[in-house]
Amino acid sequence: MAAIGPEFEAMQAAIEARARQRGLDVPEIRYELVDYRQLNEIAAFGGFPVRYPHWRFGMEYDRLVKGHQYGLQKIYELVINTDPVVAYLLSQNSRLDQKLVMAHVCGHADFFRNNAWFAHTDGNMIDVMASHGARVRTISDRYGIDAVETFIDRIHSIDNLVDSGAMARARGRPGNAPPLDRESTPRDILGHLAQQGDLSNWQRELLGLLRDEAYYFLPQMLTKIMNEGWASFWHSRLMTDDLLHDAEVVDYADAHSGAMGGDEGPKNPYKLGIELFRWIAEGHADEGDGRTAMEVAFDARRTHNDVTFVDRYLDEPFCRAHGLGVSSEECAKARHATVASLANAGQPIIERVSDVADDELELVHVWSGSELQLDQAEECLRHVQALWGGAVRLFTRLDGRDALLSIVARDGEVAREVGERSDAA
Amino acid sequence: MTDERSNIRRIERDRSRFSEIVRGHIKRDLKKYVTGSELIGRKGKQLVSIPVPRIELPRFRHGENGEGQGQGDGDADGRGQGGEAPGAGQAGEHAGQHLLEVELSLEEMARILGDELALPNVQPRGRASVDSLNRRFSSMHRQGPHSLRHMRRTMKEALKRQIASDTYNPDDPVIVPVVDDMRFRSWKDTWRPDHAAMIMYMMDVSGSMGREQKEIVRLVSFWIDTWLRSQYHSLETRYIVHDAVAKEVDQDTFYRLRESGGTKISSAYSLAADIIEQQFPASEWNIYIFHFSDGDNWSGRDTERCVSLLRERLLGGANLFCYGQVKSAYGSGQFKKDLDAALEHDELVITEEIPDRDGILPAIKSFLGKGV
Repeated sequence: MAAIGPEFEAMQAAIEARARQRGLDVPEIRYELVDYRQLNEIAAFGGFPVRYPHWRFGMEYDRLVKGHQYGLQKIYELVINTDPVVAYLLSQNSRLDQKLVMAHVCGHADFFRNNAWFAHTDGNMIDVMASHGARVRTISDRYGIDAVETFIDRIHSIDNLVDSGAMARARGRPGNAPPLDRESTPRDILGHLAQQGDLSNWQRELLGLLRDEAYYFLPQMLTKIMNEGWASFWHSRLMTDDLLHDAEVVDYADAHSGAMGGDEGPKNPYKLGIELFRWIAEGHADEGDGRTAMEVAFDARRTHNDVTFVDRYLDEPFCRAHGLGVSSEECAKARHATVASLANAGQPIIERVSDVADDELELVHVWSGSELQLDQAEECLRHVQALWGGAVRLFTRLDGRDALLSIVARDGEVAREVGERSDAA
Repeated sequence: MTDERSNIRRIERDRSRFSEIVRGHIKRDLKKYVTGSELIGRKGKQLVSIPVPRIELPRFRHGENGEGQGQGDGDADGRGQGGEAPGAGQAGEHAGQHLLEVELSLEEMARILGDELALPNVQPRGRASVDSLNRRFSSMHRQGPHSLRHMRRTMKEALKRQIASDTYNPDDPVIVPVVDDMRFRSWKDTWRPDHAAMIMYMMDVSGSMGREQKEIVRLVSFWIDTWLRSQYHSLETRYIVHDAVAKEVDQDTFYRLRESGGTKISSAYSLAADIIEQQFPASEWNIYIFHFSDGDNWSGRDTERCVSLLRERLLGGANLFCYGQVKSAYGSGQFKKDLDAALEHDELVITEEIPDRDGILPAIKSFLGKGV
């Protein structure tokens, strides 16, 4: 890792000055220059230089390095939501790439600082991750790598059982994770297991650490389209309005369209996000309340997450203009499909039922249009049971019928009861 | 930069842990790989590339059933903090999600095989009569690629030069290496004595040996080869095919050739004996002889001739003679019975029946289980 040097520092200062003139709230950004191996390492660690030891990071790294070597993919930059914002630049990037990336990072940094869902994230997360790493290493030394790894595997399998709605409960302390000294909310199943699961001390501690990390990443999963859209919207504005030299235009257009190209619609978050923000900035979404189109865009980036953003702004005119549909029905369908795919960051919603006996855990899969993948759900249920200790039940649907999956004891079989065909949708 | 590179980075530990897990999977499914043909086709010079199912943790995720649209790109790992970034080359990001190519050296593959089958290491006979090349990075050159630059030596040379030419100032200890100061790691060849070994493969290609039978022979031979290569640094292989007459062929032909006609096994044994006597004196070579057929021979007379060829010309110098009888629709399987009856007490002779692909591992184990 290296500092970026005076030339890029001057470039950074110029870009940030422009961004601020245009109204972006750019916090302090620290750039580090890294080679592709380091960048891939950091990417494999989920954006951080140090994480706890685990084979899945190694697997991700393996995939990224091979992808890079075979020329299938290339990561240009990584941004971490911390205070100051840290961004890693690939040292092989051309001068133009770096300029583009810095402009892009300004958008991300502004988004991290201003979007409501990021209000509670811990600005110190690099250190927190590093200390989690040190803690896991200590625990592994003491209780054995295999035991710790198996336990972490379990948690990874179910770390989407968190409650995005409960993040505001974390107010007043660092981190997004709702505090564990109060009763956890129904969807915060990780929290409930951390509080009442049948766990040894080190297991409980580890579950707590990994839960904190899961909550740290949650806002990013909820705002992928917006975050990428906003950053792309701004790099495109800043570059084309101010920053590009004549000689750079063609290369810029190539790089930009490379990222925006491909699927229309929800598949490419860059594309859908940037088009929605452009739509708003062009004045198509004026509310008639006296705000300028740009003010509407800035307010949208503050208050929405992907679901509400798409639901609000992917309207019929947008839909027609971007070829997602022609008739009202088609447009409504396109919007609903996109919203459904984004709901709960694309994860199934699973809730705990509260009025059951203390030693039992009853879960309900809240129906949102599609069934769970059965084999994996059963496997996950085993993991939940192993952390919980007592009997665990999950109400869901199989082949259009109500179904109950239950597991009574550790390593036991998952029993399946299927009820009458239900017509509820 | 240099400091960070010289340390093993954390991710490399995670990566090697990951490959350990993958190797564990390969080991667990060894039978699948040994009895499947895809591996042999993937043999590179030193590495085999093995497709293993992508290792995936189970998750609560949306499945296929339901009227909804399923899920978007959930990516619950929270990867890519808003930043896999502008630029081309996004295509193919998700290619090959479900298969993972793992590259293993043949030696490693042999070790896994050896571990699983509990194969003893080979105890070579005779003296170490050939020299095998051993290349180590143990010397220093003035030219070389920068990736092999020896920083400390280079700086030391520069310091020496600067002190000698009086351009070194202890109060401002700046050392600037010039081209002449550069030192690079380089290799040194050493030759060390080694045991020589050869494998003689013989196969019946008469009409009764079908595709599947040959495939089995091919698989058994591949794994025998892999194992013995991990035991000897230099290994020669020779291939003989026979129906009513025998001829020596190259490896490729050995596996592909389809002849028809009768079967005279003695023709192969006598050719093998000729080759070995002329080119591979037993005093210098460890000799492994493998013969595969479906057990049909031309006549009882010819089988008798085979037995006497074995006794008189082949077994004397060989470490091992193995006969694998691959079951075919037409084979009588008589040859193995005759061999067993005639050579029952000879420890060097191992005969095995290989009824189908499931018989491959047991056959390999029995062939190589003696460690000779």
